[in-house]
Formats: sequence, C-alpha cells, structure tokens
Amino acid sequence: MSTTVPAKAHNVGAKKPNPDFVQLLDADGIRLADDLYDPWVSDVTGDQLASLYEDLIIVRRIDTEATALQRQGELGLWPPLFGQEAAQVGSARTLRPDDFVFSSYRENAVAYCRGVTLPDLVRVWRGTAASGWDPFSVGMATPAVIIGAQTLHATGYAVGCKKDGVDSVAVAYFGDGATSEGDVSEAMVFAASFNAPVIFFCQNNQWAISEPVGLQAQRPIADRAPGFGIPSIRVDGNDVLAVMAATRSALDRARNGGGPTFIEAVTYRRGPHTTSDDPSRYVDPVVVKEWEARDPIARVEAFLRSEGVLTDELAASIQSRADQVAAEFRAGCLGLENPEPLSVFDNVYATEHSGLARQKSQYKAYLEGFEK
Amino acid sequence: MTDLTLAKALGSGLRRALSDDDKVVLLGEDIGTLGGVFRVTDGLQRDFGTERVMDTPLAEAGIIGMAVGLAFRGYRPVCEIQFDGFIYPGFDQIVAQVAKLHYRTAGNVRMPLTIRVPYGGGIGAVEHHSESPEAYFAHTAGLRVVTCSTPQDAYSMLREAIASDDPVLFFEPKRRYWTKGEVDEDAVGLPMGTARVVVEGTDVTLVTYGPLVATALDAAVAAADDGISIEVVDLRSLSPVDFDTVSASVQKTGRLVITHEASESGGLGAEIAATLTDRCFYYLEAAPVRITGFDVPYPAAKLEDHFLPDLDRILDGVDRALGRANSLTGWSA
Amino acid sequence: MAVKEFALPDLGEGLTESEIVEWHVAVGDMVTLNQPIAEVETAKAIVSLPSPVAGKISALHAEPGATVLVGARIVTFELEGEAGETDKQDDPEASQKPAQSQKPAQPDMSAPTEKSGEASSSDAPERNSVLVGYGPAVESGKRPIRKPRAAPAAQQTSQSADAPAADALAQIVEAPAKNVNAPATPAEARTKTTPPVRKLAHDLGVDLTRVQGTGPDGLITRDDVSQVADAGAQSSDSATVSPSRESVPRAGVSNGRPREQRTPIKSVRKATAAAMVSSAFTAPHVTEFLTIDVTRTIELVARLKASGTSASVLAVIAKALCIGVARNPSVNSRWDADANEIIEFGYVNLGIAVATPRGLMVPNLKDADSLTLAELTDAIGTIARDARASKATPASLGGGTISITNVGVFGIDAGTPILNPGEAAILAMGAVRKMPWEHHGEIALRDVMTLSLSFDHRLVDGEQGARFLTDIGAILSDPGTVLSMV
Repeated sequence: MSTTVPAKAHNVGAKKPNPDFVQLLDADGIRLADDLYDPWVSDVTGDQLASLYEDLIIVRRIDTEATALQRQGELGLWPPLFGQEAAQVGSARTLRPDDFVFSSYRENAVAYCRGVTLPDLVRVWRGTAASGWDPFSVGMATPAVIIGAQTLHATGYAVGCKKDGVDSVAVAYFGDGATSEGDVSEAMVFAASFNAPVIFFCQNNQWAISEPVGLQAQRPIADRAPGFGIPSIRVDGNDVLAVMAATRSALDRARNGGGPTFIEAVTYRRGPHTTSDDPSRYVDPVVVKEWEARDPIARVEAFLRSEGVLTDELAASIQSRADQVAAEFRAGCLGLENPEPLSVFDNVYATEHSGLARQKSQYKAYLEGFEK
Repeated sequence: MTDLTLAKALGSGLRRALSDDDKVVLLGEDIGTLGGVFRVTDGLQRDFGTERVMDTPLAEAGIIGMAVGLAFRGYRPVCEIQFDGFIYPGFDQIVAQVAKLHYRTAGNVRMPLTIRVPYGGGIGAVEHHSESPEAYFAHTAGLRVVTCSTPQDAYSMLREAIASDDPVLFFEPKRRYWTKGEVDEDAVGLPMGTARVVVEGTDVTLVTYGPLVATALDAAVAAADDGISIEVVDLRSLSPVDFDTVSASVQKTGRLVITHEASESGGLGAEIAATLTDRCFYYLEAAPVRITGFDVPYPAAKLEDHFLPDLDRILDGVDRALGRANSLTGWSA
Repeated sequence: MAVKEFALPDLGEGLTESEIVEWHVAVGDMVTLNQPIAEVETAKAIVSLPSPVAGKISALHAEPGATVLVGARIVTFELEGEAGETDKQDDPEASQKPAQSQKPAQPDMSAPTEKSGEASSSDAPERNSVLVGYGPAVESGKRPIRKPRAAPAAQQTSQSADAPAADALAQIVEAPAKNVNAPATPAEARTKTTPPVRKLAHDLGVDLTRVQGTGPDGLITRDDVSQVADAGAQSSDSATVSPSRESVPRAGVSNGRPREQRTPIKSVRKATAAAMVSSAFTAPHVTEFLTIDVTRTIELVARLKASGTSASVLAVIAKALCIGVARNPSVNSRWDADANEIIEFGYVNLGIAVATPRGLMVPNLKDADSLTLAELTDAIGTIARDARASKATPASLGGGTISITNVGVFGIDAGTPILNPGEAAILAMGAVRKMPWEHHGEIALRDVMTLSLSFDHRLVDGEQGARFLTDIGAILSDPGTVLSMV
C-alpha cells in the first residue's frame, strides 16, 4: 500500500512563496517550491510523510485525552499543545538519539517523539513525581517550568559536546514570551561567543498566558538572533515539512562546526495556556478562526490525499491507532501509583546529608505513631 | 462592612490605593486584561487605564528594575510577582538595588515599592508554585516583609504597605485566596510591624503566619479536647518581627511552638526560637519547638501532605513542648 | 454491574467550588468516554466536563445553578463489565473505538435504584478514580480533630524495631559532644533541670547535685527543689536528701554517719530560733506547776462526745484558760517597751503550739473566749491540721495573746515552756496518767495531769500566776466549779 513518491507534488510553483517565513506546504495542502529548503526534504517519501501525519494525529489525540483527564480530576494540570503539533513533531523527528533536548513544559509532542512512554508523560501533571523520566534514557531534559532558563542549559550542553569532539547537537525549545527573559539573551551571547552547536527553537504561538506576542517583541522574534551574531530562520510552524527542513539545515550547520542557529516557528496556541486558564477573556474568536484555517494536520491530510497516499483504509487504521494510544495513555495515567511518604526525602543530595537523615528518621517515627 | 474573599479584599485595597494616590502604579504579568491569574486585579485596568495598571513582558528582573526607575521619578510602584517560585530572577534587583538605594544615597532616594507575592503550598501544584521564600527577604536589611492571613488584614495591610515609604515584600497566602471574611474598609488596622494574638490560651504559645494561621486555629480547637489551652499568635510582620507581643505570650505560658511552611533550616522559626530563648529564658519550661517543612525542595503534589505542617504535626510539637509523649522524645514518658 | 461515583474535581489550581451551569445529559442516558456531560463555571472560567467513563447516568447530584464544593459527588454512573474496570487494556486489536462500543447484550438494567443504592452504600468511590486532593483541602464542616495515635505499647514495639534509626539518631546527637575539647564539667556531674528551676534552686540555696530528680529521665522538678528547701531545715544526719521519703529526721541512726554534717540555717528553723532567743532573753521567765485529778474532765469529754457534741481535753483546758484569763487579766497582756506601756487585751487570741515537719508553729484562734466548747474543739483541730500541712496563714500566726502547748502527746509530764514572743503566759499540759490519788479520803487510781505555767514576771507576779493556774486546775478537777466563776 505504500508508495515511494517523493513529497514533491505536481502543482509545485503554482503559488508564490510566502514572504514572511519559510513554507513548503501551505494551509491548503499545496506544495510550494523553495530553492533553499527543498533540498533538505527531497528524500522524504510519501510513506514517511504519512508517518509524520500519524504522529500529528496521535499527539493531538494525547493532548485531547490529557485535557479530558484533567477535567475528570485525574491530572492536576495540563498545558495543551493544540495547534502546535507540526512545530514539535517536524523538528523532533529530525533529531538523532545522541542529540539532547532542553524544553519548556509544553513540548509533550517532542517528548513523545523522543521516546518518552505514555505514563511517563503525565507523571508530573498527575503530581506523583517532580519529573517524568530519566533524561539520559531519551535524550531530553525534564521540561523547565521557569521560563527561558533552559536556553542556558542547552548552550552549556552544546559547549560540552564540542569539547568531547562529538557532533551531537543540543536543542532548546521555548516560547515567544521566554524571549523576554534575560536568560534567553544571555544564552545567545554565550552560544555565539563559544560557537556552540545549539539550536534555539522558538515556538511563537502568539501568547504568553494572556499577553500577546506584540508585548514581547516589536519586530519578528527571528530578528533578534542576528543581533547576537546567530543566523536565524523564520518558518511556518504549522508546516511540518518546512519545520523539518529548517531544523535539518540547523543541525547540519551545528554538526559541521557552524555554531548556533535560531529558528522561529510561527504557530498559534489554539487551546488555553493550561487547563486553569480561560482564554475567552483575552482572545479574539475571529483570530482563532483564522488559525483554524491554517491547521497543521488538515494541510498534510489534504496533500496526502491529493497524492493518493492517504487512502480511507490508511486513515481508518491511523484513527484506530490513535484511539489505542489514547486508551493506553488513559490507563497509564490511572495506573500511576502514589509515591511512598518517606520518598519525600529522596535524592535531595547525591551523598548522605546528616541533617536530612535526622529529619527523615524523626518523620518515620512520627508516621509510625499513628493507628494503622 | 462586606464579606469578601481574601483575593477580592486585596483587589479592593489596590483599588483604593489607586484612587487615593495618582502616583500609585501597578505592574505585573497578566494583571491588566486578564485581571491576574488569581483575578486579584480584576477590573482595575478597565477602571484606571493602562497607564496606571500595566501588563509587563515576561521578565521578573525587568518588572522590578523598571519599578526602581519609576521610583526614582517619584512614582509608587506596586509590582506583582505571579508566583513565589518566579521571584528569583528578580532577586538581584530586589536585594542589590531596592533594598540598598535609600542607605546607599543617605536617604535622598526613596524606594516606596510594594512587591506582591502569592506564596505557600497546599494547592496540589507542579513545582515552583508553592514556595515560601520569605526568609531570604527577612534576612535582607533595607526591606520590610509582611504577610496577611485574613481578608481584613489583606485589605488593611496592603494599603499600609503601599503607603509606606519603605520597600515592602507583601506575601499573600494563595491557598487562602478563597477564604471569606468581613472587611471594614474604614477600619484602622494594627500598625504595620505588629503581631496579633488571635486566640488566647494558657498552656502553650503557638506562633505562625500566613497560610498556617487557619491551621493553627484548628489545632487549638482540637487540642482543647485534650484539655490543652493554646494561645495562637499571628506574626503578620516578618521583618520586623513583633517580639514584644510574642514575649508577653511566652512569659505567660512558658512554652513556645513555631510553625511555618518554609523549610526548617535557616527559616524564620529559627530566628524566633533563638530570640525568644534569649528574652524569655527564665520563663521557659521547655525548649522552643519548630514544626516546619522539611529541608527538601517543595515536593510533587501527591507528597505535599508529607511536607506541610498540618494539625497533627503541630500538635505533636505541642506535645513535645508540654513534655508529653510525642514522636521525637518517645512515648515512655 | 459496577458503579462509579464522580466527584467535582479541582479544575484550576486551587479552586474550592464550582457552579453547575447546565447538564448535557439526563438520568438514564448512555454516555461515551469523554463525552461532554456538563458545563461548570469556576472562579476562572466556564469549563466543559467530559465523562470519565462510558456508561449510564444513574443519578445527577446537583441542580443547574447549584454551587458544588470540590470533592462533592455530582454524578453516579452505572458501568458494564467487572467492578473497577473502566477501560479495556488487553486487546488493542479488538476495539475500533473502545469509547464507542457498548456491550451488545446489556444485562438487565431493571432496579437501578437497588443496585446503585447497594453500591453507593459501599462507602467511597473506586480507588484509582477521582482525585479530590488537588487544590486546597475542602472544608468538611466538621470539628477539627487529631488523627488517633497508636497505643503506647504498640508504639514502643515499633520503635524498638526501629532501633537502628534511633541509634543513628543518637549517634548524630552525641557526635558533636565528643568533639568538644576539655569540657568544664564531666557529663555525669551536670544536673538536669529547666532554667526556671535552676533559678529557684539558686534563690533557695539548694545544691542541685544533691537533689534526686523525680521527673522523666531524672529531671529535677520545681517540687523536688521546694521539698528539699523545706526539709533542709530538719535534716542533719543524712548524706543526700530524698524528698520523697519521710522528712522528719530520725535521731539515733548512727551506722556510717559522717563525723560532721553541715546544714545551712534557713527559713523556719531560722525564724523559730530567732523568736526563741528574743523571748527567752527579754522576758524574765518563771514557771509554776500544778498536778491535778482530771478524771471528771475525762468523763465529761466522753459523755459529751457520746451525745454528739464535739469535745476534747485540750478544748476544755482552752475554755478553762479563757475563764481564768477573765479572772486574772494580767496573764493576757503585753509589755510594749516602745510605747512604754503595758497592754491588757480584752479578748483572747489563743495560740496552739503545733509540731509540723517544718518546725514548731503557733497559730492562734482569734477571740477564743467567744467560742463554745464544741467550736473550740473543731477550731483547734482545724488549725492544727492546716499548720501541719503548711497551710497556716500569716494572719493566724500573728496577733496571739496567750498560748497553750500540749507536751502530753510526747509523753511528758511537765516542762518549762518558753513564751511566744509578745505574750505574757504560756500553759503546758502534760500527759494524762493513771496514778494513785486521794479520792474521797481513800487512795484510788485516778486520771492525773500536771499543768506547767510559764509567765513573764514583768507583767505577772507570782500570786497572780498562781491564782490563774489554780483556777484552771479547779475547773479541770471539777468542771462544775465553772458555775461559781462566771
């Protein structure tokens, strides 16, 4: 059932390229020509694009299921990534296992692509643990809650890779709001000065809770990086092919000693900041509708159907797979066990700490004093 | 007199401050259009405009740094730090600049800032949203630190803080934001810097502040069943601490228990225990007892009950102060 | 048929309640997993609630418009399948959309009320279901109480099982002490007590190293120190003082006695001694003796007691003394050197000497001359008891005018009592003995007592003293004599 048709369609060139950013697949699913970035995805087959399509469907489904779980009291909180699937999947699927990701709390699709298991995705949100997984098992750090802090971590990691003489790359994911934090600027200073193999991947989803991106930046965010001496790409974040192409080009630069790249993926946060937020207080529904028309999944579906790659059969099996993942995800969430009380003292230090040991033994005695 | 939640009382206090003084300006993330993530500033931007109630970029150091510049120009800024755990990027501005400029300039430059911080745990949140960083600021010379526990105090103390010519860290117990209470907008509150004896007792003095005042009051009720009479003192001010009120109480009861959410080591409990031991040495029948969070980072939601002092842990501390059987010294007594 | 209770979750980081805006379903509806079942309004937003399970709505527990607390039950579902299962996990292939597929053969749904009633009586919702712990604790409205602690016996077992932790704890606590260089006092010599008790000991001059603590772990208590201070006046021959034992010194115990035992002169002993010295060396003492047959008094007291009236020999003597005072007022006076006057009192404040653990005390009965015999008996009993229990008030110890001391209880016949300072006379009553005595011209065994009267010769001359004494003697030997005296 698979074809090997390259992801380059029959009607390329029918539309002019978008002047605002790099775009290879427009909102209607039309393949656009881009001399600079086409080469980076010329190898992508129909099968592979269908696989990306499946990823997009699945991560959106996980996101929806997680929101439902929160509304059912099974998760304390969830930060939806609804609308940002292509930005996360398109970039994450280009990484090697030896690359390392430093992200914000919203990059759950990146985590999925890195191989984080379904229960591990929700540990933090269910509150059974402070982090969901061992960073070295999947090449992804615990997502940062402090905005922008992770950009400095990514830069340091990248400098370490350089010292080790390997060509692994560190990727920092953050949002538009984060670019106002000083840490982000400091990270770019260091990255430029040390020519660090780091990608600064900014998902400009237009919102930082209720503050529009216009409050964070007076010109496109991608314009900042050249000021630090870092080359910059502005890409349509809802175009999985463009995101992939941009990321691949940045990876190539980094692996070959070219240093850091800044990618601004322009997208839209179609859900609330978190499940505690009410965007109806500040979002213009007209704008939301405009972004619905730019849906990342719909355009891939349209393209794959027009190429004859996405059949009804395939679509149905993908839906079925998504349902299965959702069910597994739900079960995994509900199956997470509450931690043992005394584990509150674990891992504060790498070696024994006498003061803490004393507190722990006291608390243990205290707990044992109650009727069972 | 109206029945308001603590959050609405704060909003009411801010509204009054904005009305009374043209130089009062509010700054913070999401405080304008959204009205604040806890709705404390709800409606204020609508009524006072964007020049008086300013949405800021996502940058705590930027918020505080901008406030310093405004203060140089004669303004009275009221900054909101969205959550306790986010105060640290602004720490340098607060400690190195805001706290020291008056001293540095021999009084020529005043820093009449109020920095509002929702703090404390007990809301089942992810990390960085349940911190108790008050000790860092109580330790910094040049800053005043206060914290309210009731809607009336929230209203009155916030107005006092804004009116003060000194910089004030105003800590708001977020898990009590929805507590309701009577607020008299014309009441003259206790002067800033004073503690309040909330309930009188004879056997033990229980000192606390902010979110644990309600817990301490519950503990006093439960303790009455054991025939123990607890006197609960709400500190209200952490820098300075009203040691006169607390001393008088300890001289009466001879026993002291201090409780706070913040971790034990270096917490304000240590400061109060040491000072009270000094001042009330010959009145003490037992060593002061501290019941606090453990020396661990604030844990995941499912573990926070094993971190926060609750009624039972507080009363275990009371037992210890009374020389009764307790978890530390054993049950053989 | 399983039942699932769904409680209102905290929908936004610390909310305590929400308002049900509208239901999208009704009782009896079948719903799929995640199907929207209600709109609720929180302090922050209007939120759609997705169904946590696939099943049938068997009950809705809130009306639209109602405000519901987080943690309160809002919906009861009836589920298919075994109790506790809400999802199929094992067969991914089988389900197209597990949320949509319903079991074709529905077991009978009749009597849902019975089933749900039965199920909901099994107290809580399922174990891994709705979390109500997120957000501030919901007020239950109940009185706050402590969690019950395990019984001490059980506690001690678990603690001993936990010995390693306790040992580790002890080591941690001990460790710093070992690092201290040349401590001033060895650990064994330090006494264990609280700061206020230390101060008390210091003020009373009690040496803490010689006090045995009766508190937990040998802690010296306030009472321990007080008792030592009181007994200190008495002790003269014991190496360490144990306040829990009898504090009256035992004379004659000589085994292992030290050559010299020093006790500080303090409190009651000191005060008493001072008084005695002042009295003895100021007032010229004279003592006169009278031995009398008191058989009739003994019989009278017995008769009065048998008829229910309080009476005692001492009370009779007290009454006789008061009558004697009326006839011989000089014995009830004071030499006021400062005013250069003699004061003659028109009332009798009768002192009764009492031996107490703290020493000799002489509390007095005010206006004893106005008391009946029964009242005297009771009052004497009371003040003696109070004095022995160290409860004599300063008021009762001052203002006396004349005193009685009962040396008879010690088995003594007579003595030369020392005057209570400020008084003119003191009467000592001796033991009552059966002795051969003249009775109706024959020798008979009679109850015989000796009275000893000391008086201040500045105030009372020999004849006055003698007449006072013989008056008392006459009453005791023949109580009827009173009729000729009053």
